[in-house]
Amino acid sequence: MLQRFLDPAVLGQLNSLDLVAKTVVDGFISGLHRSPDFGFSQEFAEYRAYTPGDDLRHVDWNVFARTERAYLKRYRGETNCQVNVLLDTSGSMQYGSRGMEKLEYAKFLAASVLYLAHLQRDAAGLVVFDDEVRHFVHPSTRQGQLHRLLHGVAEAQIGKRTDLMRPFVHLMDFLRRRGMIVVISDFWELPEKVIEMVSPLRYRGNEVVLFHLLDPEEIRPKLKHPVMLEDLETGETLEVTPDYAAHEYRDKMAAHLEDIESRAKGAGMDYFMVDTSRPLDAALREYLALRTGRL
Amino acid sequence: MGFLTPWFLAGVVGVGLPIWLHLLKRHKLDPRPFPSLMFFERREQSSVVHRRLDHILLFILRTLMLIILALLFANPFINRATPKASGKKTVVVAVDDSFSMRAFASGTSGETRLDKAKREALNVISGIPPTTTAEVLALRGTVEAMTQPTNDPAELRGAVAAIKPSDSRASFGELARFTRTLSESSKMPIEVHLISDLQKTALPPGFTDLRLAGDTTLILHPVGGEIPNWTVENVKAPTHVYDPKRVRIQATIAGFGTPAAKRTVSLVLNGKVVQTKQVDVPAGTPGRAQVEFNELAASYGPNRCELKIDSADALPGDDSFPFSVERADPKKILFIDNGRHPNAALYYRTALDSSTDAAFALEVQRPETAATANLAGYSLVVLDDLGPLPPGLEENLQRYVSPGKSLLVVLGPASVAMPKIPVEGDPILPGTSYAGRETERFLTVADVDSGHPVMKGLERLDGVNFYLAVRVTPSKDAHVLARLNDQTPLLLERQIGQGKVMVFTSTFDNGSSNDLPVHGAYWVPFVLQSATYLGGGGAEQPVDVPVDSYVELRTSESKNAAAEVLDQDGKRALSLEEATTAKTYPLTREGFFSVTTANGQHSLVAAHADRRESDLAVIPQETLDLWKATGSGGAGTDGAGGSAGDKTTPWSLSPLLLLLLLLVALAESVVANGYLRAPVERQEGARKEAA
Repeated sequence: MLQRFLDPAVLGQLNSLDLVAKTVVDGFISGLHRSPDFGFSQEFAEYRAYTPGDDLRHVDWNVFARTERAYLKRYRGETNCQVNVLLDTSGSMQYGSRGMEKLEYAKFLAASVLYLAHLQRDAAGLVVFDDEVRHFVHPSTRQGQLHRLLHGVAEAQIGKRTDLMRPFVHLMDFLRRRGMIVVISDFWELPEKVIEMVSPLRYRGNEVVLFHLLDPEEIRPKLKHPVMLEDLETGETLEVTPDYAAHEYRDKMAAHLEDIESRAKGAGMDYFMVDTSRPLDAALREYLALRTGRL
Repeated sequence: MGFLTPWFLAGVVGVGLPIWLHLLKRHKLDPRPFPSLMFFERREQSSVVHRRLDHILLFILRTLMLIILALLFANPFINRATPKASGKKTVVVAVDDSFSMRAFASGTSGETRLDKAKREALNVISGIPPTTTAEVLALRGTVEAMTQPTNDPAELRGAVAAIKPSDSRASFGELARFTRTLSESSKMPIEVHLISDLQKTALPPGFTDLRLAGDTTLILHPVGGEIPNWTVENVKAPTHVYDPKRVRIQATIAGFGTPAAKRTVSLVLNGKVVQTKQVDVPAGTPGRAQVEFNELAASYGPNRCELKIDSADALPGDDSFPFSVERADPKKILFIDNGRHPNAALYYRTALDSSTDAAFALEVQRPETAATANLAGYSLVVLDDLGPLPPGLEENLQRYVSPGKSLLVVLGPASVAMPKIPVEGDPILPGTSYAGRETERFLTVADVDSGHPVMKGLERLDGVNFYLAVRVTPSKDAHVLARLNDQTPLLLERQIGQGKVMVFTSTFDNGSSNDLPVHGAYWVPFVLQSATYLGGGGAEQPVDVPVDSYVELRTSESKNAAAEVLDQDGKRALSLEEATTAKTYPLTREGFFSVTTANGQHSLVAAHADRRESDLAVIPQETLDLWKATGSGGAGTDGAGGSAGDKTTPWSLSPLLLLLLLLVALAESVVANGYLRAPVERQEGARKEAA
């Protein structure tokens, strides 16, 4: 199973990145998941001038001896992060124009993220959903957790329609600690509705990363003849002309992508549009590089 | 324009098929899955319009094909004005020059019917307008075109003058067939002037053979009427005369429309009257009388004979009947017998003598005599169950057979002790030497090669019982002609050198072996046919034939040898090329023809005019009217042409439609191929892209 999801070539490229050096806290996920608050760690972060009321235990007395000014020493948090991957298995995820379904691609992506979390000894969890929660693996660092997660990913089947609300509500019930939530979906929903449903996760201080998976044919459909299109989730059919697909659809799609990205960023979420025609490792590397740059 | 089978036009509804294929069926697209249709809008109309334009050419071609197909079945035609509407026509002047036209037109001398007919033909030609095309025919057993269609009166008159009296029989059926063919090829109305004595016997057996084409006008010009005529209708004479005292010549003297009269019949041999007889010919149509001559002192070789009557009628040509006979010695057959079967030679001789031609002379000898005799003078030698042969006989027989002579070996009880058949050499089975009868009292013939000249007409010798037959084992090159029902060969033949040996495995004696000799219906033909076959008789050229018969000059086996025909005037009838290549020669005139075939056989062939020409009875007027009515051109009267009114004929458009259908089908294939290729290329492109 490991062999299936974690392509050695993909992982080899990921390991070549200097992830560990960029981690804020030892034991923390390498450069991926910054602790949301400062804690008592051995890694120095910054000095801050003492103000009355501060805990005197944090005063750097050596600096006070040299400068006769009281400064508080601040460290990066050393706590382990909870990483929850939300994998969308709705009907639209079975689409694929290049021989690979979006769901398959999403499974690779989820497995890669979970494995990275495992490498960093994060408590990783998994929620497989469509309009219901189909599978749930509680975040944990126990032995065998990775196998449970990957098994959950592998067993994910194409479901029905997308409904982000239910899985997120379900997840809120189980989230006790703040952490990172990775949502992998094609987000075939209005952008404001997507953000509206995802935003509650953000309120508890969780970091939310949205992987927006799209097939190139979804972004730029190429039709030479009029075709009858069937909605994979609703079963509705519609005859479409090449002319419409080449112009009006593309414009609408571009506006949609731009809207959802801006709304996600506005809501403090990380947004990555993943084109399934691109290699999986390239998408991951871009994501990691971006996160590293933020540190 | 019209349709011969308009109900096939209902097939036009088939046009709905391409409409359904192109507009309705193609409109129903196979749904293609897509993740979400949230950004698509329903714009159906635009796509349908696009598709219609995309396949419009193919649609038109397919629709056109169906329409043409329906039209083809409906068999459309247009009414086209015939040349008759423009007054054009072809005139055919047919002059009967058959044997009966030799009759005098009036009385017993003066102008013949043919002379009168030619004069009438010239009159007809003079009345033909200069712009009208005409053709002159000579009508006899076949139709001979004396000219090509022409409007040159001089050429037409020359053609009439060139018509000579013939000895053939007229056939109006041939004339009708010719005019039908001419009508089809010329596409013009035909005006046929038939100048003839309108003999009743010239009508074909079926009236439908007289049918004229639709636009043919028949104008009759009768020359001569029904007049009494005597004739030598038939002569039956032997082809070979072996004994001048034993000749039987029978003749039939007939009178057509004649009163009872006494006629003098003369037998002429090589130009000399050798016998004369009186015969009373009764009145009647016809009245017939028989006369017979029983002696003919013919000289050796072919003789020219004639049977003549003194008729003094209008047609003197049929008062003599030529025939030929050949004087020859009978062929000698040597019957070698040792007296064991005393009746065998008797039965054999009786069968040979029963032949009316008496072509064979039988001589009986003892084996000891035959052993030293010179056998070269015999055409056939018969060994009658001799048993062991005396010294020298087998060698003598082998010397006799090898150059090409024949031997008939008859086996019987005496032959059982012999190891093999004399001369022929096939082994005789020792021990069980007789054919097994099992529980039957006798054997019968089971298999016969009925195509062999010896067994021809003998069926399976029904009713003949065989009690004894010697068992022999035929060699591979032996041909078994008859087998008994226990598969014992009864009659077999084998080639020895150039000669033939035939073996009969039962005796010729009406004793304990079989009862064949007392079945005359089989015994006589068997003996005569075997003697003829083995004695070198073979098939001979018929020597008395009617005019227009053919004599065979060569077979495929004698390709390069020359044949020769001398006509009744003694002139060579064949050119050098014809002498080496012609297979047959037509006897177109009455008289004697000396024929030498390519294989060297010489014969004198006597050709006589068909005696149906002697009956000068005329076709009844009702029949003539019916005949003329078969041509829609109407019945013409003497010298007057039919009216040339406006007329149209249906002209089928089917050939044009077929051509059009072919072209449209080709275009459809090309266009459809273009449409089919595009999706295939798209699929291949997508496959490459995916790879």
